[in-house]
Amino acid sequence: MIILQEIRKHAAGQPDKVALIEKNTEVTYSQMWQRILSASAYFRARVPRGSRVILAANKSVNFVYAYFGAQLAGLITVTVDSAVNPLRLKRIYDSARPYAIYGNLDNRQDEYTCMPFSEIDISSEVDEAGMAFPGEDDMADILFTTGTTGFPKGVVLSHRNEYSAAVMINTFVGNTSGDVELLALPISHSFGLGRLRCTLVKGGTIDILGSFANVKSFFREMETRKVTGFGMVPASWNFLKRTSGEKIREYSGQLRYIEIGSAPMKHEDKELLIKLLPQTRICMHYGLTEASRSLFICFNEEQDFLDSIGHPSPGVSAKILDETGEELPVDEPGELCVKGTHVCCAYWGTDQDRYSDSFFGDYFRTGDWGYKDGNGYYYLISRKKELINVGGKKVSPIEVEEVIGRVAGVVDCACIGVPDDVLGETVKVFVVRGEEGPDGKDIIDYAGKYLEGYKVPASVEFIDEIPKTSSGKVQRLLLK
Amino acid sequence: MDTKQTVIRIMADLFGVPEDEITLESSIGDFPKWDSLGHISLLQEIQDELDIEFEPEEIIELENVEDIVSLASRKENQA
Repeated sequence: MIILQEIRKHAAGQPDKVALIEKNTEVTYSQMWQRILSASAYFRARVPRGSRVILAANKSVNFVYAYFGAQLAGLITVTVDSAVNPLRLKRIYDSARPYAIYGNLDNRQDEYTCMPFSEIDISSEVDEAGMAFPGEDDMADILFTTGTTGFPKGVVLSHRNEYSAAVMINTFVGNTSGDVELLALPISHSFGLGRLRCTLVKGGTIDILGSFANVKSFFREMETRKVTGFGMVPASWNFLKRTSGEKIREYSGQLRYIEIGSAPMKHEDKELLIKLLPQTRICMHYGLTEASRSLFICFNEEQDFLDSIGHPSPGVSAKILDETGEELPVDEPGELCVKGTHVCCAYWGTDQDRYSDSFFGDYFRTGDWGYKDGNGYYYLISRKKELINVGGKKVSPIEVEEVIGRVAGVVDCACIGVPDDVLGETVKVFVVRGEEGPDGKDIIDYAGKYLEGYKVPASVEFIDEIPKTSSGKVQRLLLK
Repeated sequence: MDTKQTVIRIMADLFGVPEDEITLESSIGDFPKWDSLGHISLLQEIQDELDIEFEPEEIIELENVEDIVSLASRKENQA
């Protein structure tokens, strides 16, 4: 089974059910499927099977037809943000070597021809007879990660990977066909695309919203469309909280679930969400583009483990392994590795060896450093390659950042290791300070009170902004 | 400089768009940098520069430049 087959099943079984909403436009499952078929015919007539097409994704119903239509035609979709910067687009283009680009590029460069989604005919009558769905192991998507180094890496997901992920997410979150999901996440990333697929696999309704930034329209949609769930990243919650206080509480009776993306979230924010939405399944996932939503925690039901990243998702196995691939005992830190049919099937443009290097046997190496407790909950310490090695002692940048973040006047900070003749590496902290912020000595003095000596930064640099990915993950390696 | 001009100048600086592209009808999301983080920065800069303070129940009502200018003007008159 693949996602496209589920969508066709819903189009046949509940043709008049609303699948997509965009502002005042409603599209039923039957209409959506016809438009996907039409888009598929358009692509089949023009683009050789197995080619890549870049979809510059401004969120719209037309994107949905293009995305699934291209995949139904046996093409591999490469979604990029409409506002993708020219350098990133060039790197993605050079790697994916697409047949065409569709959608809308805000920073369009003359060397690329980008056709609007309106070029794709979605109104032709298409006969399904003889139509073949892509195979489960055919490539569906290449998602280029931002990566902590800033150099995009093409993660290839097969139809099997995406269907498996959707089923396991829906199993944990508890999605049903009655759900109306507000999609305010960027659609060019794994999380937003995943939410679209999860909802359509279940036969639910997707309400497309530009972003969380327009809080008034966010709550207007909540009200008028009787939204039952949405996905967000911790930064979205910070924004909603700052701009609407506790208004979300008014929807505690109708919101059945929220899925939160993997990025650091304050303990008190988790508790606040539980307090405001006691009946809502507030589910936070841990995952990466290569292994989407590998672990989950439901805040309301697992309140004793809020500082963990949860436990393996349904159908996923996780282990903490050492440098040789041996499993480590409880509480001992090592690399978090996961196994499941959701794990990506290849890296684009690299040989199979490089892909194989990402595994210990069947277990995909996430590159994250953590441990498992006696209750089976997993805890993250740091990205493995971001650990700082001070004279043989491992320092988690996150631990140091948490302490320095408490210094009055520090707005944001990030730590890296810098070469040191004696210790190998020492900790360096980059700090964004507000008005009347501290000086370097204040920061080092403060850290000295709360951290072991080897964890105290040896140097401090003040900068205007900490580099982060669109989902809010600190790109520490860019500070190197 | 009146409130409208001040708001538009701050937006132009913050979002990297020419002032003449910003109209009273321009809405959140119309410029790539006018996302949630951009919106927070915009409101903060307006409050700092005009020495006014917005309440959460006022912020929630802001959808476009006209909303922001009219709230800022009202706050300035109250100050």
